[in-house]
Amino acid sequence: MSRLEAKKPSLCKSEPLTSERVRATLCVLKGILTSSYGPSGRLKQVHNGLGGCVCTTSHSSALLSNLPVTHPILKILTTSMQNHVSCFSDCGLFTAILCCNLIENLQRTGLTPTTVIKLNQQLLHLCTSYLKSESCGCRILVDFSRPQTLLCLVRSIVTSKPASMLTREETDHISALVLRAFLLTIPDNAKDHLILGKSIIVPSKGQRVLDSSVFPGILLEMSEVQLMKILPIKKSDAFKVALFCASLSGDLSDTGEGTVVVSSRVSLENAALEQLLNLGRQLVSDHVDLVMCQKVIHPSLKQFLSMHRVIAVDRVGVALMEPLSKVTGTPPIGSLGSISPSSYGRVKDLCPAKFGFKHFLHLIPNEATICSLLLCSRNDTAWDELKLTCQTALHALQLTIKEPSVLLGGGCTETHLAAYIRHKICNEPESILKDDGCTETELQLITEAFCSALESVAGSLEHDGGEVLTDMKYGHFWSTQAESPSVVNWPDLLSRCGCGLYNSQEELHWSFLKTTRHPFAPQTCLPHEEATGSANNLTLDCFTAKLSGLQVAVETANLILDLSYIIEDKN
Amino acid sequence: MAAVGSAKVALQVAEVLETIVSCCVGPEGRQVLCTKPTGEVLVSRDGGCLLEALHLEHPIARMVVACVSSHLRKTGDGAKTFIIFLCHLLRGLHTITDKEQDSLISKNIQTHRRHWKNCCQWKFISQALLTFQTQILDYIMDHYLSKHFLSIFSSSTKERTLCRSSLELLLEAYFCGRVGRNNHSFISQLMCNYFFKSMACESGFEEVFDLVDDYFVELNVGVTGLPVSDSRIIAGLVLHRDFSVYCPADGDIRIVIVTETIQPLFSTSGSEFILNSEAQFHTSQFWIMEKTKAIMKHLQSQNVKLLLSSVKQPDLVIYYAGLNGISVVECLSPEEVSLIQRIIGLSPFVLAQASSQYEICNTALVKFCKPLILRSKRYVHLGLISTCSFIPHCIVLCGPVQGLVEQHEDALHGAFKMLRQLFKDLDLNYMIRTSDQNHTSSPPTYKTSRESNPLPEIVNGLIQRPYQGTVVKNKGKLAKTQTYLKVYSNLVVPSVELETDIPYSTPKVTPTDTYQTDETLRCLPPTKTRIIDDSEPFVESNSANSIAENTGIEISYENLQVTKIARKGSMLPVREKSLEMCTSQSYCCSTLPAGCVLPVGGNFEILLHYYLLNHARKCQQSEGTIVSMIIANALLGIPKILYKSKKGKYSFPQIYVRTLHALQTNQPMVSSQTGLESVAGKYQLLTSVLQCLTKILTIDLVINIKRQPQEMYDQDSEEEV
Repeated sequence: MSRLEAKKPSLCKSEPLTSERVRATLCVLKGILTSSYGPSGRLKQVHNGLGGCVCTTSHSSALLSNLPVTHPILKILTTSMQNHVSCFSDCGLFTAILCCNLIENLQRTGLTPTTVIKLNQQLLHLCTSYLKSESCGCRILVDFSRPQTLLCLVRSIVTSKPASMLTREETDHISALVLRAFLLTIPDNAKDHLILGKSIIVPSKGQRVLDSSVFPGILLEMSEVQLMKILPIKKSDAFKVALFCASLSGDLSDTGEGTVVVSSRVSLENAALEQLLNLGRQLVSDHVDLVMCQKVIHPSLKQFLSMHRVIAVDRVGVALMEPLSKVTGTPPIGSLGSISPSSYGRVKDLCPAKFGFKHFLHLIPNEATICSLLLCSRNDTAWDELKLTCQTALHALQLTIKEPSVLLGGGCTETHLAAYIRHKICNEPESILKDDGCTETELQLITEAFCSALESVAGSLEHDGGEVLTDMKYGHFWSTQAESPSVVNWPDLLSRCGCGLYNSQEELHWSFLKTTRHPFAPQTCLPHEEATGSANNLTLDCFTAKLSGLQVAVETANLILDLSYIIEDKN
Repeated sequence: MAAVGSAKVALQVAEVLETIVSCCVGPEGRQVLCTKPTGEVLVSRDGGCLLEALHLEHPIARMVVACVSSHLRKTGDGAKTFIIFLCHLLRGLHTITDKEQDSLISKNIQTHRRHWKNCCQWKFISQALLTFQTQILDYIMDHYLSKHFLSIFSSSTKERTLCRSSLELLLEAYFCGRVGRNNHSFISQLMCNYFFKSMACESGFEEVFDLVDDYFVELNVGVTGLPVSDSRIIAGLVLHRDFSVYCPADGDIRIVIVTETIQPLFSTSGSEFILNSEAQFHTSQFWIMEKTKAIMKHLQSQNVKLLLSSVKQPDLVIYYAGLNGISVVECLSPEEVSLIQRIIGLSPFVLAQASSQYEICNTALVKFCKPLILRSKRYVHLGLISTCSFIPHCIVLCGPVQGLVEQHEDALHGAFKMLRQLFKDLDLNYMIRTSDQNHTSSPPTYKTSRESNPLPEIVNGLIQRPYQGTVVKNKGKLAKTQTYLKVYSNLVVPSVELETDIPYSTPKVTPTDTYQTDETLRCLPPTKTRIIDDSEPFVESNSANSIAENTGIEISYENLQVTKIARKGSMLPVREKSLEMCTSQSYCCSTLPAGCVLPVGGNFEILLHYYLLNHARKCQQSEGTIVSMIIANALLGIPKILYKSKKGKYSFPQIYVRTLHALQTNQPMVSSQTGLESVAGKYQLLTSVLQCLTKILTIDLVINIKRQPQEMYDQDSEEEV
């Protein structure tokens, strides 16, 4: 009998955001996030006092999932960011920092939540419609005939994760590999419906990063003994493959709900084994070269197959089944009965391979959209971070295929957007104020809070004590070296803007980000062809991820600002 | 340990609850964050949800919460208003207690201790409240308020067609109170689109509401991590699972539903399978395989491309399905299966038919069947061809966090409940006493029927049952009052009947006492004189007021009986009325037509307030008047909160004065807000609150038992011990 227990009453707190403790914790979280942001971000070492591995990272998903938060408001903030990261992989820190900034700034205005939320939503709408519009000055359309843009995107993502500890050369190598791996997953003859393949990341720790490489097909890891047994592989122009998803271990299938009575002289195990060996005979007579099984193969069957020079690989696991069936070009076999000749697949070549201390059997397909990305790194934590980085980059590339645009990175999109909004609100406030009961002063306060939140996200890219500036023509983001002389000639001190599109030798005027500026209309002359061609080192961001991050950040901030009570269930 | 349960305690409790809910009420309301012990975080503005999350300890508070949730089950809306209204009613009662005492407490009770006296007084008030609820409220709704009602239907003819713009207004106003204020217009647009997309024909909207309400969980998909504005409606049905095997198919796609495993097994339950040799084992395995293969081949030959299974199918079945180009979806929940059956009218396929001679008749066509990927999770997307008036569509709800998605889901579900309620007729029953005295019947069955009834406690939800409701309702009330009696058994009350009668008194008419008694003697059959005799001592000791009450009751019972008989024969309200008119107390029954709405912003409350005050001014009977006044004033509490943040021309006093002026001069009312709300919902809320209040007022003692937790509300039985 279960014991009934009276529920404890919940704890109810009003106006949670005004409490000093909440502000302090929000501030700490913001500190953690901002200090990890960008290529020069500081690394965080998260470790559990009770043991377990130490995680060195500056990646939002690793950071947020390892960080235990207790306060409900922080919980809602971090889960929101985690959900965003699990959807888009990229722009997690951007979203989180923007959200924290917004909460802080908007709360400081002291206006009623109704006004704040209404206007905030309007400003967000202004941002998204500008970013999606043709005239947007910080969006570049991707030309797939030039891989340069995509390479820039990948390189920006790789450089923004300093915890993978890559040198410049290694960064270039990894970026090129990731892009190659992605291109290999695109089918050659795409019809109207594009189905991307898969890049499988194969770990190889303890090697140099420069040893990483990409292979078409699948690398099946196996022990050296196993590999030696199947060597030498006889040569032929194509190998016949039987891929099983049914178990070949010889255990009995489900016998139903009734009883099965077996006489003492009958051995079902023998019968099952006999059936397996029959299958083996058929495989041999069909001249199959390679048998792969998702589950276990009975040792006797394995023995039988190896006697007939058939390579048997078992315990492949369910995760590899789909790529394998794509590589071999056949659906897996699910029955132990007679196999029709059409259910065998083919691979072009089979060869043994050795990387570091690991041995692999390499399946090379005739044509398939599956490739293996062998990632090498010196130590475990750096490898984990590198893997996350590569996954993020691959995901960003997939998103870019769907929506072929990229945004300028390096803080330029944020400052440009802020300049655009300030200008828009200053010149035509009626467009927003038309139906609501808000005053122009309120609108100006909120706009200031919103724009400075955006700008301080850009400002968090600078960690070394340099000055952060914006120019008064394009609204791009610039930063100086630390310890710069006080009497300044800006064009000499600055070299290129955050995204690398403009250099300081143009006739530009600068202003500190923190100071108030006269609103100006940021120019939108994007030099399309030649600039994207010439400026090889643009910093770019994934459009879909950033746009959604912006929306999620504003919506989460709105949600948190709207809270009037917290009811904590203490059971 | 016992604590005095009184209106004062209840008021304190209600005030605490009011402060919490009043911050979430109306378009200006804010959100509340609830954490669960499991660590989940929920965002909510739903009053019912908040009250549940508080896990209140105080017994009266728990009773209030129970009342609120029973109200919510019925209507899906109004929990916050419930609390606010209840609080204002209690406050009103509290302030006028002193006045009440003089008018209601009679001499002989003064000898009792003060506490019992108080209880008695509260009980009188609660009875007056019941009277109000059963008689005055409906009367006023029907006679005065109904002329202000608007209809959600676009035409005035019998053919009911929904007007899109008014539905939008209604939903917008509803979501204003339920979801965050930056999302309400988006969500209401979404729901409106959903509704008009899924409706096959104009007339079938009721079926659509019923179906969506019943299967709401199956008809929406929540996605976290995306902005709310990515929410959308997709045509077809989305099943919350992936294909076990998917074979792309075009053209003529037929589906079958199975509820058992297709592969024959060695033995079924209750049978025994004897294996004598290994060869036999081989052959039986072979047979099973061949049989499965044959079934799948047969399905393929019938052009079946999709197999929906409510159970897990063995791997062999999946394999052969894949070979034959049949996609399989396994482990469908019973709800999903019944939803599909309801939409396409397809019954499950029985395996016995599968032998290849027969055509499979239980198949249906679908337009498409493909995987749908939402945030890297795969779903099955089916284009079912509907055979009913619901064209399947699914709502994909996106939000940054699960809590927000859940809030939107709940709000949408509540909106469907509210609409379902709105499209039902609401019956109003009340009595009008006319001077005509010719009784048509005096039923001798009266007493027996009353005593033999099993006293069902089905007060809730009675208002919607048109032609049997009233009688049962009275019985239910009877049950309640009888149980109260047990509680107050130390009161000197001579007869059960007397007590139970009191709630049905008709306070709005006050004829002279002599006339009343005469009438009673004249119209009561001989069997009933006993009751009257029994009650004699009490009646005499009481004030003249109570005599009037008692006799009034007897008559009303008879009339009830009359109408019951009359109803058996006729279904038309018009005919009933004519029958009733000839009785001395005619029992009126009119209906509030389905789809009645009023503009939002406290219009209903101000209107009812105005007419209640008018009514109270007209009639002289003291307690009825007082109750009407209290209710009328408490009603204003809701618009006061709604207009709290408004300034100048839109502040509450301004609006109030303007509305009253418009009413007095018979001008059309002007509303500052463009939104509509359901009258039926408001009416039901009012009755639920009044019922809750009566419940609270009839409690005199709260006994705290330090034992295993058990049912908290059975103080009645405890007190008898």
